[in-house]
Parts: sequence; C-alpha cells; structure tokens
Amino acid sequence: MSATNTIVMPGERIAAIEELAKSKRVILGPGLRRLDDTVVASKAGPLRHKEPGTFWVDNYQRRYIPARGDLILGIVRAKSGDIYRVDIGAADTASISYLAFEAATKKNRPDLIPGDLIYARVLNASADIEPELVCVNSVGKRGKLGVLTEGFFFKCSLNLGRMLLRENCPVLAALTREMPYEIAVGVNGRIWVKAHSLKETVALANAISALEQSGCAEIDKICGNLGDYLQT
Amino acid sequence: MDVEKETLRQMNCEFNPLSRCDGSVMYSQGATGLIGAVLGPIEVKTQNLSIDGSYLECNYRPKAGLPQVIDRIREAAIRDVLELALLSEAHPRSKMSVQIQELEDRGSIDACAVNCACLAMLIGGLPLKYSFAAVHAIINEQGEYVLDPDQSETQHQRASFTFAFDSVEGNLLLVKTKGSFKIAQFNDIECLCRAASAEIFQFYRSQVAKYHGRSEATAKNET
Repeated sequence: MSATNTIVMPGERIAAIEELAKSKRVILGPGLRRLDDTVVASKAGPLRHKEPGTFWVDNYQRRYIPARGDLILGIVRAKSGDIYRVDIGAADTASISYLAFEAATKKNRPDLIPGDLIYARVLNASADIEPELVCVNSVGKRGKLGVLTEGFFFKCSLNLGRMLLRENCPVLAALTREMPYEIAVGVNGRIWVKAHSLKETVALANAISALEQSGCAEIDKICGNLGDYLQT
Repeated sequence: MDVEKETLRQMNCEFNPLSRCDGSVMYSQGATGLIGAVLGPIEVKTQNLSIDGSYLECNYRPKAGLPQVIDRIREAAIRDVLELALLSEAHPRSKMSVQIQELEDRGSIDACAVNCACLAMLIGGLPLKYSFAAVHAIINEQGEYVLDPDQSETQHQRASFTFAFDSVEGNLLLVKTKGSFKIAQFNDIECLCRAASAEIFQFYRSQVAKYHGRSEATAKNET
C-alpha cells in the first residue's frame, strides 16, 4: 500500500486515475465513483493506492458498510422462520440461514438464542438487499467461524479494527508477549477478546481501546507500554 | 463598492468530540459556535423508506428551549442544501440523520450551521457530490458591505444575505435575503461571498488533512 499525501474532497476529479485507466484495469474502492468518463471522489480523506490498480479514499469511519467476503462480528437479534436476524452495525440487520452452520441439517438446527455473538462471513452484500451471512466455508467446515462464548465484546472504530487485522500490525504481537488470549476482530468495528481470567480479559479490552484515542503514529510506542494497561 | 469588512472571522473546529454518533464536529466562526453530528446510513422507518435513495433527516436545536419557527426555517434551509449535496443513491433504503446543536449565536448563525453540517458530513464519511460552504454578509446603515458580521454589527442593518456555494462548479445552493437592496448590491455581495467561500473550502481541506495526518504517519512506517 502506498500512502500519498493527496487529500481529496468530495466532488474532486482525479485525473491521475483517469489517465491510468486508459492503459490498464483500475478498481475504484470506497469513496470513489465513476461519473460518465471521469473519476470523482465522494468522501474526504487521503487517496490511497495499491498496486496494480486499486484506489480508495481512506477515512475515519464508525459506520460499517457491508461488503462481500468481510469477516464480521454480529449479535443475534431474533429468530424468524428459517433465518436468524443478526445485528452487524450496518444500516440493515443481516440474515443468516440456520443451514449456514457446520453440520446443521433441517432436523439438527443450531442452537442460537437472541443475544448470542457470532463470528461470520458476509456472503452477499448489496445496497439494495439485506446482507446475508454464513458461518461455514465453501466445503461446509466452520473453520474459526461460529458462536463465540464467554469472553468480552466491545465496539471500536472501523479503522482500529482494520489496523489490528493488518498482517504487520505490532499490537497483537505486543499483547501476546504479555499473556495468552483469544481474539476475534470484525471489520465492522467490533472486537471480542477472551483470556484466562475475567480480570485479564478486561485489561486486554482496555489496552486495545486505548489505541483508539491515541494517534496511529504513536502505536509503536504504545505497544511497548501495553503491559502498563494490563496491570491496571 | 464600499466594503467595510471583507474577511471571515476566525474559523475553528474539533472533530469527533462526541463518542456515540458516526461523525461529529464542534465548529466555531468568531464567537458563534455549534456542534454537528451525523448518523448514517442507519435503519429507516417504513413510512420514510425510499428504494432509490436515502432519506435525509435534519434537526436543529437552539441553545435553550424547544425549536421555534425561526429554528425550523434554519433547519429547512440546512436540509435543502444537504439534500442537494448528498449522494443519496449510494445508500438506498436507509436514513442519514444530521443533528445541529447551537452553542452560541453571535451573528451569522445560518451560515455557520450550514458549514458545521458540511464538516460533520465530511468526517462521518457520508457520500457527497460536493462539499458546500455558506457565507453571510450584510449592508449596514451607511450602505457599506460587511462580510461575516459579528452580532454587534448586525444591530443596524439595511439588508442581510446568506449564500451557499458548492465546491465544484461554485453554483448557488442557497440564497436567503432580508431587507431592502438594489440588484447591483445583491450582485456585489454575491461576488464577495463567493470569494470568501474559497477560504472556507481551504479550511475544510486543511482540517481534514490535519485530522488524517495521524494515520498517514503509520501507513508510511509500515510500507
């Protein structure tokens, strides 16, 4: 990912992308749209570019917009017919079929009750229809998806969620040095953590929440001090 | 043309002072201050649901008490401008909600409320066709033009004007006038306000850049 210093504002034409689009395939991500033959920004923030031809506008956002393939945390809200309604923090509630769990059959239904937390993948997302989730992969195995029991759940900004999920993110490694724990991070800005004791779990949640307030530039420094948050 | 004052008052803003909404801003222009908050896209009531666009809700709260007629008019003006600027087809079947809370009215509140709404939309990441800026100006008793007047300067005025412009083509989005004036004066004031709106757009850009400066630094470290 290359970071450019160009800040784009809504309505701004981005000639560099138009130029590139003439010679190769270009993918426009969030915050950019095509208007006839021009590329126009619809959000304010730094323009990002990833090779070969992906562009998007980065911005600090707290509302999740569902996208196919995203891994998210959702709360089961209700059961209606053969689907569960799941709150994923987007405009609409998502639906998940009771057959979308490992080893579920019509006879053997998964046992979910309202309030349960699930880690799921977005199967289907479009602005015009409600998003659909699954808790299995294409061969019917659950992998790491499914219901999350115990532990502690909290919300954060989408940026913090995405940052934790980056491959080279130093935060989780720094925490691992302090204690063993389990974590599930949803790109919808929701995090679930679980450590050996309740006290450790809460400390872990505090340490992660502390990153939210601090500027991202200080992350490396904070990671060194994460132990301090865990003590309190 | 006689221009008494052709500069805007000092603008200031702080992003995301509120924790529970999707984007918020505390904006001040001189001594006039407001807090704006946006939520969106969120779930919409069936009666307001539209399949080809999002529903826009705008609330303006005065400093104290319940909204009066004047506040409703201001609210409608903000809503009209937002409706033009919002890229509503990006999120059909949803609602965008904008809340503006007045903190202090020391003149030009109409224009400040519109600017506050724009900054809140920018920081909340709601899709816009363009950003917009509103400027207020008056003609005082001596027939001189005063741009972005303070409350003390508005006591004796012949006419007051509020214009809102878009950032792309500079089209007029809102015109609000009061009092008596000549058409030539109207045109002069429009030019004056248009020039001042460029400064506001520059302010938006610098504030957004400043806010994203933090994340910028990490991205560079990691690559």
